Amino acid sequence: MSIGGSDLDKAIQQLRACRPIPEAQVREVCYKARELLIEEGNVVGVDAPVTICGDIHGQFHDLMELFRVGGDVPDTNYLFMGDFVDRGFYSLESFLLLLCLKVRYPDRITLIRGNHESRQITTVYGFYDECLRKYGSANVWRYCCEVFDYLALGALVTGAATALEPTDSPYAANTTTASVADIDQDIEVETLNADGEVLGRFARASSESNSQSQQNSSALPPAPDNVGAAGTGASGSSNGSRRNDTGAVLCVHGGLSPLIDTIDKIRLLDRKQEVPHEGAMCDLLWSDPDEIDGWGLSPRGAGFLFGADIVKVFNHRNDLSLIARAHQLVMEGFKEMFDSTIVTVWSAPNYCYRCGNVAAILELGEDGSNAGYARSNGDGSAAGFIGAGALGTSGFGGNAYSQAFGSNTLGANGNRRLSGVLGEQHRLREGPGRRYRVFEAAPQDSRGMPAKKPVAEYFL
Amino acid sequence: MATNGPIDTLAPGHESDNTITRDGFKITTRKLPILKAGPIEEMTTKLGITPPEMIFGDNLASISHPSSGWSITFNAFDALDRVDKTGAAMLKVSYSKEWQQNRQKQFEDIKEVVKPFDWSYSTDYKGTTLDCPAFEPSNKPIPLELLRRPDPILFFDDVILYEDELADNGIAMLSVKIRVMPARLLLLSRFFMRLDGVLFRIRDTRVFVEFATGEVIREYTAREEKYETVRKSLAGMREDVLALMRDPNRLAENLSIVGKSLERLVLK
Repeated sequence: MSIGGSDLDKAIQQLRACRPIPEAQVREVCYKARELLIEEGNVVGVDAPVTICGDIHGQFHDLMELFRVGGDVPDTNYLFMGDFVDRGFYSLESFLLLLCLKVRYPDRITLIRGNHESRQITTVYGFYDECLRKYGSANVWRYCCEVFDYLALGALVTGAATALEPTDSPYAANTTTASVADIDQDIEVETLNADGEVLGRFARASSESNSQSQQNSSALPPAPDNVGAAGTGASGSSNGSRRNDTGAVLCVHGGLSPLIDTIDKIRLLDRKQEVPHEGAMCDLLWSDPDEIDGWGLSPRGAGFLFGADIVKVFNHRNDLSLIARAHQLVMEGFKEMFDSTIVTVWSAPNYCYRCGNVAAILELGEDGSNAGYARSNGDGSAAGFIGAGALGTSGFGGNAYSQAFGSNTLGANGNRRLSGVLGEQHRLREGPGRRYRVFEAAPQDSRGMPAKKPVAEYFL
Repeated sequence: MATNGPIDTLAPGHESDNTITRDGFKITTRKLPILKAGPIEEMTTKLGITPPEMIFGDNLASISHPSSGWSITFNAFDALDRVDKTGAAMLKVSYSKEWQQNRQKQFEDIKEVVKPFDWSYSTDYKGTTLDCPAFEPSNKPIPLELLRRPDPILFFDDVILYEDELADNGIAMLSVKIRVMPARLLLLSRFFMRLDGVLFRIRDTRVFVEFATGEVIREYTAREEKYETVRKSLAGMREDVLALMRDPNRLAENLSIVGKSLERLVLK
């Protein structure tokens, strides 16, 4: 009765075609998944290279597009930061496919919990209704909820390279030279479209060239190391060299918690339960970064907001170079904040089938080697999907970079304040090289998608 | 490719307006994607509050009468500018009390509510108009019997202006529907808000235009009810209560009217 390799492969095939698998098989897969997940710590260790993904929200066809753009499992190592279900029409197929892939390739895909992986939230926002509709009973929903309770709360990516090896692919049609750094420079960030064409390429701002680069729209906001000399003492004047002293990257659905000052404290939580309404576990899945000092209470009367100083102190204390999180919709698919110490990754394009946003995934390369990026671009059939299309001229050219990356509002003040907090001897790690692949919603097919034109109605 | 490409992903600047002109009235709708980070920041600064998560800042619906210079437009910025920005009308999520009590023991230093405002984005927006010619208070209701007739619909659109998931505590949404028939039109701007376990709100602005006479009637109705009261009144139904709670059309009759106004003007 146990689900073996070939049964599992068949289930994966069926789910890839967006067809639900029988209830008995769901039960089996969920059981297997629990056995696997129970062995994982609250914070899963993941080695780079890895592709980090944000919210999916049951947008199955867009998940397929994500795999087309980012590479398939197990060729690509994936980390999904939760919110697999609710809102979209295919939560069931999306979550079960990810879960089957997890059971089939446990070392090539990591799933962590989002705030929607909860009994209470799924009964209000669609997943429960969907299970009931597709199976006629709540059994499948219950099996899935039991899996939710075992999902890890975070992941720690180690071994990510500081410098990006520039992608050997053409520029997208509307990429301007101003947004593309010379490939001889130390590349920190690269943005690619769904066909792997370069939209932008940004050099790391070194301490020496900082004052210039701030005026140059093609350069990065000041790198974290400009609060003092860089990381390990060896890299103070490393302009142009390929450095490998990046810290770890913490991945979590929501954000930080005032109860958590070290990653070890996350490891001590008892996670095998419904997401509570308060406490550290709740905060990790719910909190948001904001342009404030320190911690703040959300105006809603529950939930925390945290500012740049909180992120920088946390990253320093835990030897992190970056926090990757999801949870908030961003039009550009990703948004870096606080001098690139935290990034929001959003992977549900055209969210709720009406927002018109693009989605993104974040690729972190492997330290010392770029084997992880040996991938072929464009498989013919896909060419021209974006075409001259929707990214348009307002997409990622020119100053779109500063938009996507936040407005660097901390500026000199923020850094001064921070150096006060950290003290002169404390320094922040340099961020890992980051490659963002930006993609649009999969072409709408006829299966239950909302019509483009609203149907006229005799409303009163 | 063009026939089944992604919907609603046109970049600003593209021709995306739908219009129809009828008896000297021009009706326009515009539907574009949510705003990008830059325009959101600009809007945040201008408004003084954080805009909703899904902000369709480029969308609009408008009715104009070029010969008299009169027009009425519905857009997200003007609607949000009428949201309480002080925190005086602020709601709390259902589990706020429990959450606060536990928190305050642990973190006495974190008491500051960041930028308080009405995060439910409740607005009493009735559209943006010029003062001349102005609406005047009236007793004449919108002639519903004329609108119930199945006259052909020449133009229809449904334009969303903003939506927020209230951090998964419900929904707040402002959208505009418009239908143009041969002799008249009806526009409905509806704010719908459900704060789970706490409150329902529906605030409707209806604009009716009779083309032949140039008569314009604007009716505003605000409805509100406690969540529990609505839940109880729906509990007896055989239908899916959760689905009903997402449907303002079905909910409206279960909510008490808490505000109403009626105005009229005649365009020459």
